Amino acid sequence: MEIVLQITANGLMLGGLYAMISVGLTLIFGITRVINFAHGEFLMVGMYIVYLVTTQLGVHPYASVLLAVPALFVMGALTQKLVIERLRNSDEHVQIFATVGLSIALINLALLIFGADIANTPSSGLRHSVGVGTVGVLTGQLVIFFSSIVLVVVLHLLLTRTRPGRAIRATAQNRAAARLMGINVSRVYVLTFGLGAACVGVAATLVAPLYPASPTIGTYFVLIAFVVVVMGGLGSITGAFIAALVIGLVDAFAGYYLGSDLKEVAVFGIFLLVLIFRPSGLFGARRNLSHVSP
Amino acid sequence: MSKSRSMFRYAAIGLTSALALGAGAGAAHAEVKFGALYPFSGQLALLGEESARGLELAVEQINSEGGVQGEQVKLVQGDAVDNNQAIGEARRLIAREGVKAIFGTYSSSRSIAASQVAELSRIPYFELGAVAEKVTSRDLGYLYRTNPTAKDMARTIVDMIVESVAPELGMDPSELRIGIIHEDSSYGSSVAEFENKYAEEAGLNVVAEQAYPASTVDMSSIVLLLKEENVDVVLQTSYQNDSVLFLRQADEENYDPKAIIGGGGGYSMEPTAEAVGEDVIDGVLDADFTQYNVNPEFAPGVKEFVEDYKAKYDSAPRSGHSLNNYAGAMALLHAIDDADGFGPDEIREAVDAIDIPMGETAAGYGVKFGENNQNTRAKMMGMQWQDGELVTVFPEEAAVSELKLQD
Repeated sequence: MEIVLQITANGLMLGGLYAMISVGLTLIFGITRVINFAHGEFLMVGMYIVYLVTTQLGVHPYASVLLAVPALFVMGALTQKLVIERLRNSDEHVQIFATVGLSIALINLALLIFGADIANTPSSGLRHSVGVGTVGVLTGQLVIFFSSIVLVVVLHLLLTRTRPGRAIRATAQNRAAARLMGINVSRVYVLTFGLGAACVGVAATLVAPLYPASPTIGTYFVLIAFVVVVMGGLGSITGAFIAALVIGLVDAFAGYYLGSDLKEVAVFGIFLLVLIFRPSGLFGARRNLSHVSP
Repeated sequence: MSKSRSMFRYAAIGLTSALALGAGAGAAHAEVKFGALYPFSGQLALLGEESARGLELAVEQINSEGGVQGEQVKLVQGDAVDNNQAIGEARRLIAREGVKAIFGTYSSSRSIAASQVAELSRIPYFELGAVAEKVTSRDLGYLYRTNPTAKDMARTIVDMIVESVAPELGMDPSELRIGIIHEDSSYGSSVAEFENKYAEEAGLNVVAEQAYPASTVDMSSIVLLLKEENVDVVLQTSYQNDSVLFLRQADEENYDPKAIIGGGGGYSMEPTAEAVGEDVIDGVLDADFTQYNVNPEFAPGVKEFVEDYKAKYDSAPRSGHSLNNYAGAMALLHAIDDADGFGPDEIREAVDAIDIPMGETAAGYGVKFGENNQNTRAKMMGMQWQDGELVTVFPEEAAVSELKLQD
């Protein structure tokens, strides 16, 4: 029984981590419909920012959120403005390959600047174990879990209660109609891409004290993030959150009962089943922001 | 000697050796060329270059002692940035530069690719640092390997458990519950396979084995599994991220096995120790190439090597790769010095005759080529993290400190 509780706790914490990393991707994916293969490298850049700020200025890693979020926002906005927008009239594949190119360029840039070794952000007590009885998790994991809930709620309010949010949703639903209503569509895309990348900035701040940064760290997370986003329904933020928890739990239970070499079989098996029986994702039909647009 | 005359001489040498292939050109040259084929750029550049420095220092020392067969050695670099380029560069070194032998390569896959080119041209290929078994298991006649392999790593780990870890714990080796965890690419899998084999031969009790992808972000389920199985000794073969992840998560989940033994990779690297902290890494064991904290009586020349290295490159060696390349190259160059010429078969004959006992090279291990031209005396060393440093603790004659396991 204790084992089951511990595995559940581990799974939920892992789910919170996946959710944290996936919300930005689902926002970009669902609204601009650009599959951003450089998403993991955005996370990597964010983690290096946190590493540099923390080690150079000697502040608490969480304080670097003040720099990481604006920096990632600008990076995302520029990606849309300078790369994606120029390919607006090209085939979708071209846009995808542009982000693949961006990903490779960023990894090798990091190799050039930081080398292949890991860069370790001080954990500042966030690796301290807390828990009830024999079930324990790290404070840093708890922070990630609750922050991911807050982030989901904030984004939800932003999209439903504010003017820019409504403009974003209108653009996602029907680009042409949104333009006719006087919405500056290309600015909305730049804003959305920036917002999605800023979410990655939050994620990077929270993840860096728990995982050492390295040029390829993004690739460790990005595949699962895509699974989460598709499983939750493209563009559905709550869907991504719930899918992340499901994947986290499956990962933890399969890791223990099937073995770590087979856990991905369980994760991707469930993913396949979802795709077969609900091709638009768990929450795709109800809350998908992109289902109307041509 | 004027430049044009020496140019003519190279052309003549190239021509005669191309025509006579192995008959031995016989003429007294002033300079002999060998290839240095390593990944000097790209992802593997850091340790590729580090490996090449060992060869450079060996050549420098040989030249200062009068060269080989009275001739100065000139190294011609080839950049094996990937498998295709390794092949291309091997061709260039042999056909255009006319090298008499190639030394390399650090990366197993580059070595496997390039050595085939050398084999077809009947040019001796000396591998000084690649660890995959497959490098020497292809029945090549001109390929020799001086360094220890994945098999030797498993051998050292199992010997260390039987001869040092179990006695230190006051237990019979067969009482220990062993758990093997490894990343699932060929590196982790092959070491784990040999660990299983040797553990069985030694009568050890392996109670858990778990592979995982190196890109994993959570190892808590593996820690739970090892805990449930009451594993006393964990053997992990891993890269850097997964080494850090396991050591951290084991510590956080209060899993405290009697010993953790790494198989090179992340376990030999300083950043791993920094990332997990001195209190966690302290006492962790590791098997890898000979490093610098080794008994100089067992590895004569290691101190001088470090001094020469610092003088030439203005920094301390960044890993044990340079030392192992140096030791292998020294043994081979001395043998070539005794050969009756630079023809491939003269070189092979001289190299086959090498018989250096343990404890007489700068890397400690001896050199004698056996089946498939693999150095049968190559050994990995057992090391332990003590007070933030990786020190040699096994075998006893190489140790600079005692293996300590606190309860």
